[in-house]
Amino acid sequence: MIRFLTDLIGVILISSSMFVFASSVLGIYRFRYVLNRMHSAALCETLGMMLLVSGLTFLLGISWHSAKMILIVVFLWMASPVASHLIARAEVLTHAHITDELEVVDDERHI
Amino acid sequence: MNIETNFFKRLNDWVNGEADRLFPELHETDAPKPPEPVATIGPLPNKDVLFLTSYQAVALIVVIGMVSILLYTVYKLPLFGVADNPAVNEVVERYVEKGLEETGAVNVVAGMILDYRAFDTLGESSVLLLAITSVMMLLLKDEKNTDPDEELIEAHEAVIEDHNRDMILQTMTIILMPAIMLYGIYVILNGHLSPGGGFSGGAILGAGLILFASGFGHNRVKKFFNMKTFRTLTTIALLGYGVLKTYSFLLGANHLPTGIPLGTPGAIFSSGLIFVLDICVGLIVACTMYGFFSVFSRGEI
Repeated sequence: MIRFLTDLIGVILISSSMFVFASSVLGIYRFRYVLNRMHSAALCETLGMMLLVSGLTFLLGISWHSAKMILIVVFLWMASPVASHLIARAEVLTHAHITDELEVVDDERHI
Repeated sequence: MNIETNFFKRLNDWVNGEADRLFPELHETDAPKPPEPVATIGPLPNKDVLFLTSYQAVALIVVIGMVSILLYTVYKLPLFGVADNPAVNEVVERYVEKGLEETGAVNVVAGMILDYRAFDTLGESSVLLLAITSVMMLLLKDEKNTDPDEELIEAHEAVIEDHNRDMILQTMTIILMPAIMLYGIYVILNGHLSPGGGFSGGAILGAGLILFASGFGHNRVKKFFNMKTFRTLTTIALLGYGVLKTYSFLLGANHLPTGIPLGTPGAIFSSGLIFVLDICVGLIVACTMYGFFSVFSRGEI
C-alpha cells in the first residue's frame, strides 16, 4: 500500500514536471524578447528539474542513487540561475534601447 | 478555407507569438481595430507560386524518405546484447575474460583504451594537441597581427571588465570550483577502477578552469596557468605517454616481463601503467580545453 502511494506521488510529480517543461517550451516559442524567453527557460531548468528528480526519488525509494539525484538538483539550482542571470546581464548591458522593451502594454485595450 | 485549417493556422500563429489570443471571438472588445495594412506587393511571379506550393510537399517527401531509411537501418540492426552478434568475436571475449588478469584494471574500458589499444589513445591525444596548435597558429596574438590602437582599446576594455566583475558569478565560482576540481581529479585518478578516466576527468578540470577564468578574469588564472605552464604540461604529458608506452610495447610484447607491477586489482595504485597514462591524458585534455577557451576569447593563454 505504501509502495503504491509513493509510486502514485512519483508519477504525479513527474507528470507535473512534464507540464512545466511543455509550458516553458511553449513560452520560449511564444515570447518575443530575450528576457521573457529567458524567464520561461529558467523555469524549466529549476522547477521542472526539481519536480522530475523528486518524482524519480519517490519512485526509487531511499538509496544512494536518490541521494546522488538530489545532489544533481542542488548543483543545477546553483548553476542554472547564475547562467540565466549572466545572460540577462549581457542583454541589459548590450541592448542600446532597453527601455523600449520594458514598456507595459495594457492587454485589454491594445490587442 | 474551412474552420479546421483556420483553427490550426490560428494555433500556429499563437504558438509562434504572432497572434495575441487563441480565441479572439471570446474576447470581443469595443476598441477600434487597427487599420488593415495595405498590400503593396503585387501578385507573385509564377515561379514563386510553384515554389511555395510545392515546398511543403517536397519537404514532406524528403523527411519521410530520411525517416524510412533510418528506420529500416534500425530494423536491420542486430539486437543489443545477443551472443551471436557480429561484434561479439574472439577479440571481445579475450578482453572481457583476460582483461583483468593481463592489465590489472577493474574497469575493462580503461584496460582496453590504455593498455591493449594505447597506441590509438596516443593518436587521440596528439589530435588534441594538433587542434590547439592550429588554432594557435590562426588566432594567437603576436607583433605581426596586432596594431597599437587595437591593443589600447583592448587594454581599456580589460580595465572596464575588471571593475565590473559579476559578484553572483564570483560567489558561485568560489563555492563550486573546489567541488568541480576535486571531482575532476577523482575521475582521473579513479579511471582504472570506475567509469571515467583521462578524457572525461580532463574535460571536467578544463571546465573548472574556464569557470574560474570567466568569473575572475584571465589575469587571475595567469598567476598559476600561463603559456609556460601550458607548454610544459602538454609536452611532459605527451612525451611521458610516448616514452612509457614505447617501453611497454618494445619490452612487453610476446609475454616478456616488463618489470612493472600490476598490483592488486581494485586498489588505487594498481594496474601498472594505466594509472600514469590516465594522468597524462587528463593533463592534455584539461590544457587543451582551457587553451581553446583562452585563445578564442583573448588570443593568448
